[in-house]
Amino acid sequence: MELADRAVGFLLSIISLSIFTYYTLWVVILPFVDSDHFIHKYFLPQDYAILIPVFAGVVLLCLLSVFIGFVMLKSKKKKA
Amino acid sequence: MKQIIKILSILIAIAAFWIGLLESSVVPRSNTWLLPIYLIVSLGCYGLLMVGVGLMKFPTCPQEAGLLQKDVAEAKEFLKQRGIDVASD
Repeated sequence: MELADRAVGFLLSIISLSIFTYYTLWVVILPFVDSDHFIHKYFLPQDYAILIPVFAGVVLLCLLSVFIGFVMLKSKKKKA
Repeated sequence: MKQIIKILSILIAIAAFWIGLLESSVVPRSNTWLLPIYLIVSLGCYGLLMVGVGLMKFPTCPQEAGLLQKDVAEAKEFLKQRGIDVASD
């Protein structure tokens, strides 16, 4: 159990660090690189840099709302 | 109260920096518009990293748990001798 928790924590750290590195490269450093450089092959167009986080945020908010609604329904049922 | 002043001043500083970048247009405008999203994404990454680090370094003390279990058993034995029912495992 403890080992699994530790593995999950390690995985979360790795994921967050990799997302941060990739996004920093994409948003901050890439505009200063020539547009015909080979590194541009590994990144989507700049439009997606704004689309993907907004989409992910909306999906997260929806899931959160669904979860909260689910919990409220459950607690109401228990009370009745 | 102090914490909120700190956070607000940081936010105002970031907003001022951002507006300055927007006005001066040192970098292309479309890239400056990405900065708030970038800040939100980095905040999310920081939160995820903190959760991960907290999970990795979660303090457990197995010796203390063993001692506590021993204490519980001892107390149950003691109470049973005195005729109090604590037989709920």
